[in-house]
Amino acid sequence: MVRRYIKNSLVRGCVQIVRRPMYILLMVIMPLLCAWFLMDLMKTGSVERVPVGVVDLDDSGISRQVSRRLGAFQQVDIKRRYHNFEDARQALMRGDIYGFFFIPEDFEESALGGRQPMLSYYVNYAYYAPASMQFKGFKTISVLGNAGVVQTMLRMVGMRDGEIMSALQPVSTHVHMLSNPFTNYNFYLSTSFVPCFFALFVLLVTAFSIGMELKSGLCRQWLRTSGNDMWLAIVGKLLPQLLLFTVVGWTIQFMMYRVYDLPLNCPPSHMLLAMPLFVLANQGFAVMMFCVAPNFRYGTTVCTLLGMLSFSFCGFSLPAESIYPWVQSISYIVPVKYYFMLSVDQAVNGLDLYYSRYYYVALIVFAVAPFLLLWRLKRECENPVYVP
Amino acid sequence: MKKVLTDIFRVCSRELHLVFKDEGVLIFFFLLCAIYPVLYSIIYNPEVVRDEPMVVVDDCRTQFSRDFVRRLDAAQGVRVVGYAASMQEAREAFSQKRAYAVLYIDRDFSADVVRDGKQGHVSLYCDMSVMMRYKAFLTALSDVQQEVGNELHAHTIEPFISQKGSIIKSRQVPVGNTAMGIASAVLLFILPLVLQQSMLLGIGMLHGGSIERRRKNGGVDPMAIEAGTMATVLGKTLCHLVIYVLPTIYVLHYVPMMFGFPQHANVWHELIIAVPFLIACSFMGQTLQAVVNERESVFLLFVFSSVVFVFLVGASWPRYLLSTKWHAVANCVPSTWMCNAYVLMQSGGAQLHHVAHYWRMLFAFAYCVERFVNRRRYRIWQERSAARPDALLRYDLIKNGIN
Repeated sequence: MVRRYIKNSLVRGCVQIVRRPMYILLMVIMPLLCAWFLMDLMKTGSVERVPVGVVDLDDSGISRQVSRRLGAFQQVDIKRRYHNFEDARQALMRGDIYGFFFIPEDFEESALGGRQPMLSYYVNYAYYAPASMQFKGFKTISVLGNAGVVQTMLRMVGMRDGEIMSALQPVSTHVHMLSNPFTNYNFYLSTSFVPCFFALFVLLVTAFSIGMELKSGLCRQWLRTSGNDMWLAIVGKLLPQLLLFTVVGWTIQFMMYRVYDLPLNCPPSHMLLAMPLFVLANQGFAVMMFCVAPNFRYGTTVCTLLGMLSFSFCGFSLPAESIYPWVQSISYIVPVKYYFMLSVDQAVNGLDLYYSRYYYVALIVFAVAPFLLLWRLKRECENPVYVP
Repeated sequence: MKKVLTDIFRVCSRELHLVFKDEGVLIFFFLLCAIYPVLYSIIYNPEVVRDEPMVVVDDCRTQFSRDFVRRLDAAQGVRVVGYAASMQEAREAFSQKRAYAVLYIDRDFSADVVRDGKQGHVSLYCDMSVMMRYKAFLTALSDVQQEVGNELHAHTIEPFISQKGSIIKSRQVPVGNTAMGIASAVLLFILPLVLQQSMLLGIGMLHGGSIERRRKNGGVDPMAIEAGTMATVLGKTLCHLVIYVLPTIYVLHYVPMMFGFPQHANVWHELIIAVPFLIACSFMGQTLQAVVNERESVFLLFVFSSVVFVFLVGASWPRYLLSTKWHAVANCVPSTWMCNAYVLMQSGGAQLHHVAHYWRMLFAFAYCVERFVNRRRYRIWQERSAARPDALLRYDLIKNGIN
């Protein structure tokens, strides 16, 4: 008897997916498309060749040398040279350039005469990533410009090149960017945003598929198919989705780690195992929301709200330690936070599985927790009330 | 002409009636616009990264190396949480997330720099999972490196070049977002996007409601107004414009004011640029509503597009680096034009004539969508539903497995 109920529930779950093209669209096509979109968008990796301008009011040998050297930098691309400050400012306002380098009048004369001329660089920080790159380029050229002049002077007094180097820069720093030596932007954003995108689809589809039962009034039929057992009904509905989502998730992981070469410094099995747990955790989270608020609109709204906010409060761009503590604590209620920390530990930093144990456990807890509250959903299913 | 105007007015007033009768749509049109920008602003409000934990392995153990570490600890972005005896111990702290970076100071660091006049070496091992974190460590380290270098110059270089300080000075002038914070940069892109997405969701839900009414009434929507295609489209657009006056002022003007984001634009200029944007959004909403078959499917179909649009406007990944195909896609979304124009105005202090191109593109977009996509689709849809009113009902039955 139980076997028949299991079979019926599973068949019902599968039929639902197949009958509505929207499910296939949102479970297979869109997650893959969105993952591809993000990774393809940033496939060049680093933000460079930022369009900038140069205002050279001096037009002397040294000033031209400075702007020529600036032009040779990878970080910036000199789009135009302006003859006055105002033109450059207008171009900045129009959005033609992201910043400009300003060389004042009598620059050469002041430099040679020891009157300390000032090089200024105007950077539009409304565009965050290009601004950082420009800053790097402008700062380096300013420091190098200064160093160049000092180097010439020190050579004149008879210092050797090795001594000059240590005099100019007494402390040298070696920065080891672990697992991302080229500061590839795609590594940052895709490691966090692609799973978050995927989680949003799992949340929405799970919420929608349960909500539609409530809305269409077919929830009694849904319960009957599983012998009035809510537990079985949920499993029957979500198991086919879990299988499909897991396959899609693995495909996304394949794209991430093999096609777009994101860092994978752990045995692949660690991430492969994490994927079904991640899907289960999100499904569990959506079911939990429906158990807490057994109503189509509220359940779906909460899932959407948290799914969308996850992109911000999980600490993908502003690190978690810098976010307000109370906002930070909210981020611990969504599964994607744990998956993100897990993938950073495992895939990016290649730590032992031991350090990520709690994240795996958290994902399992998300999957199991709603079963404690299923009675609320069952009560709603027996007496559905649709609030438009 | 008079009939068209009357029809536009009738469609508009019916649409207004439907909006204010529908709690779900009101949530999208008003509550979403009221809450989302505030939530996002609160999340990003700390603006900059402060006190990222770092652990130090100091093999030098001299006054000079301790002073170097103290300076790092005093930097805004870094907090030295402790010394580790070895790299192994530091790695353990890193693995347990007690620190996100390890600074290794060479054994000969102080002797090289202070005594022998050589270059001293320090190594930074940095977690690369979040870019701002890495940037905080890097900035702090290079600032301290420069500061220490400048102090040492006083002994090594200045006697030879007979000048105090550097020969060429340099300074950075941040434009617009003078705090150089992430909220002031990202939020200005997100604000107009919230308006667009809330409108798309609301329009989609209204259409879903209309489809559901048709289903129940044998293919006829009792609340629909019999009017020509153009009058229907323009009437609805007028309604959306009227509804969005308040949310637009609130989102574009008051939210930046509340959170102290750059605010160089005049409120009238904001409203002027918002007019073609809202028209374009309304037309786009009325085009995309075709994919909505019931009220709640808007959640599934439209919500995720927000993230796609955030990337297309150039908030995270600059627009000039987009490949041709993504550039083309981005150009077909009103938010791309509006967000960039808004950022230039709010942050860069651009006037209307600076962003005239964006303004024209919004109008061009609105016209093209209305003329070539929306109007045609409406016409076909009206013809189909007139020819076979029960098509929707049949589809609904098949979908739910009822033969």
